Amino acid sequence: MNETIVTYFAKFEWYKSLVKALTETFGFNAEPLMVFLFFFLASFIVVNVMALVGGLGTYAERKISADLQMRMGPNRVGPYGLIQFLADGVKFIMKEGIIPKSADTFLFTLAPILCLVGVLGSLTVVPYSSGFILSDLDIGLFFLIGISSLVGLGIFLGGYASNSKWAMLGGMRAAAQIISYEIPVVISALSCVLLAGGLSFTTLIEAQTGFPQGWFIFHNPFTFIGFFVFFVGGLAETNRAPFDLPEAESELVSGYHTEYSGMRFAFFALAEYIEVFVVAGVAVALFLGGYNVPFGLGGDGILGQFLQLGAFFSKTLVLYYVVIWFRWTLPRLRVDHLMTLCWKYLTPIAIFNLIGTGFWLYGFEGKSLFELLFKSGAAATGGGH
Amino acid sequence: MFGNILFLVSALFSVLGAVGVVVTKNIMHACVYLLMSLIGVAGLYLTLGADFVAATQLVVYVGGVVILMVFAVMLTGGADSQKSNRFGIEKTPMMGSVGTYVAGGISAILASYIVIYRLLPKIFEAEPVNSTMAFDKTVEKIGMLLVSDHVLAFEISSVLLLGALVGAAVIARPKRN
Repeated sequence: MNETIVTYFAKFEWYKSLVKALTETFGFNAEPLMVFLFFFLASFIVVNVMALVGGLGTYAERKISADLQMRMGPNRVGPYGLIQFLADGVKFIMKEGIIPKSADTFLFTLAPILCLVGVLGSLTVVPYSSGFILSDLDIGLFFLIGISSLVGLGIFLGGYASNSKWAMLGGMRAAAQIISYEIPVVISALSCVLLAGGLSFTTLIEAQTGFPQGWFIFHNPFTFIGFFVFFVGGLAETNRAPFDLPEAESELVSGYHTEYSGMRFAFFALAEYIEVFVVAGVAVALFLGGYNVPFGLGGDGILGQFLQLGAFFSKTLVLYYVVIWFRWTLPRLRVDHLMTLCWKYLTPIAIFNLIGTGFWLYGFEGKSLFELLFKSGAAATGGGH
Repeated sequence: MFGNILFLVSALFSVLGAVGVVVTKNIMHACVYLLMSLIGVAGLYLTLGADFVAATQLVVYVGGVVILMVFAVMLTGGADSQKSNRFGIEKTPMMGSVGTYVAGGISAILASYIVIYRLLPKIFEAEPVNSTMAFDKTVEKIGMLLVSDHVLAFEISSVLLLGALVGAAVIARPKRN
C-alpha cells in the first residue's frame, strides 16, 4: 500500500479521534469522508501554493531579467513591486476573452484547460516532503510522465484551434519538440530508477542522503552527465528559452497563444511557470537529494516535515533561478538545430548513460564514487577509523 | 462510497466520451472526445487498483496515440467540417429498414432492462472500491514476470517495434536521385 498525505495524518491520534467523533455524530463510517476531505484540502492548498509560485515566477522572471540587463524591473505595485503579479491577474480577469470568428470554439476553450490540468495533475506525485506528498504512487515517475503529456496536447490543440498560421506553426513546433525531448528526459531519469530500484519518488529520494556526496548526481560520472541531459531536456519540454521556439516572438508573433487573451492566456502562462517548477522539482528529487535534510534534523515530527519542505523548496527554487537565468542569457536555437540536438546528441548520450550506469551498478555493486574514493583513501593512509 | 463515486465518474467520462466520438461531425472534436473516453478508462483502472495499467494507458494513449491522431487529421486536412465528402457526412441517410429498427428497439429495451434492473443495484451494493486510494505494489510483479515468464513475448514485441521504426525510417527517407 502506498503512502499518501492521508496515511501520514492517519498516524496521529487527533486524526483517529476526529474520525471517531464524526462516526458517532453522523452514524456511519466517516473514514471515506475524512479521506475525501483531507485529499480535497491538501489538493486545494497545493494548487493555491503552486498558483502563487507560478505568479511569483512571472515576477521573478521580470526582476531577474531586469537585473541581468541593468534595469529596475517592476517596482511600483507593492514593496519592490512584489504584488505586480496580482495586478496582472486582475487585469487578465477584467480583459475581454476574445475568441476569433474562424476559431474552433470548443477546442479553443478546451486547450488552456487541458494544459493546466496536465500540469496540476503532475503535482500529485511531486515530493514536497516525506509526509506532505499528495500520493506517493508506486509508479510515481511513470504517472508524472503520463499525465504531463496532456500539456503537449493542450498546446497543440490551442495552436490548431486558433485557425491562424502563427499559432498553427507554434503548436506544431511545440508538439514535435515535446514528443522528441521526452525520450532523453525519460531515459536519463531511468538511470536514477536503476540506482534506487523503484519508480516511487519516496524510494528514489530515500536512496539518497542529505549531503551532496550521497546525491545521485555525484553517484557516478554517468549520472553526472545524465543530470545535465535531464535538465536540458526538461527546459525543452517546458518550452523555455533557449528552446522557446513554439512562442518565438521574432518569427511567430507569440506562437501558439497568439490569438489568446484574458484568462485563457493567463492559463497558458500559469501552466508554463508551474511546469518549470515541476521540472525543477523532479530534477531535485531525482538527482539532487530531494527533501533529504542533513543529519535527519527535526526528526519524524511536524518540525522535520517543515525542514524537509524547506530543503526541497530551496533546491527547487535555485534551479528555477537557473532556468530564468538561461532564458535571459542564451539566444534561441534554430528549428533544425533543436531536432539535431535532441536526436543526434542528447538521446545517444542518455542511452550511453543508462548503459554506463548499468555497468557501474554491476561492476561496483552499486557503490557511489565517493564511497569508492573514500575507502581507497582511508586504506592508503592506513587509517582504520 | 468515495471510491464508488470516483468509479461512476470515470465510467460516465468513458461512456460520454465514446458517445461524443460517434455523435460529433467534426473529426478533430472526435479526437478530443476519444481522449476524454481514454482518460475515463484510465480512471476505471485506477479505481479498481491497477495503477500501473492506468499510468500506461495515460502514457500510451494520451501521450502518444491521441497526439498522433490529431497530427494525422491535421496533416490530411480532414478536420474541415464545412465540406462534406462525396458520401455526404452532413446529410446522413436513414440507414436500415423497418425490420432493423424493430430489432434495434427491442435490443435497446433489453439492454436497458439489464443495465437498470440487474447491473445498477449490484453496483450500489458492491463493496467500496479502494476508497483510500491506496494501491498494492503491482509494478515489481509486472516487471519480474516480464523478464522471467514472459520474456519471449517481451522480446518479440520489441522486435516488432524495431521493425516499425525501420519501416518508418525507410518511408520517411528522401529519395536520392
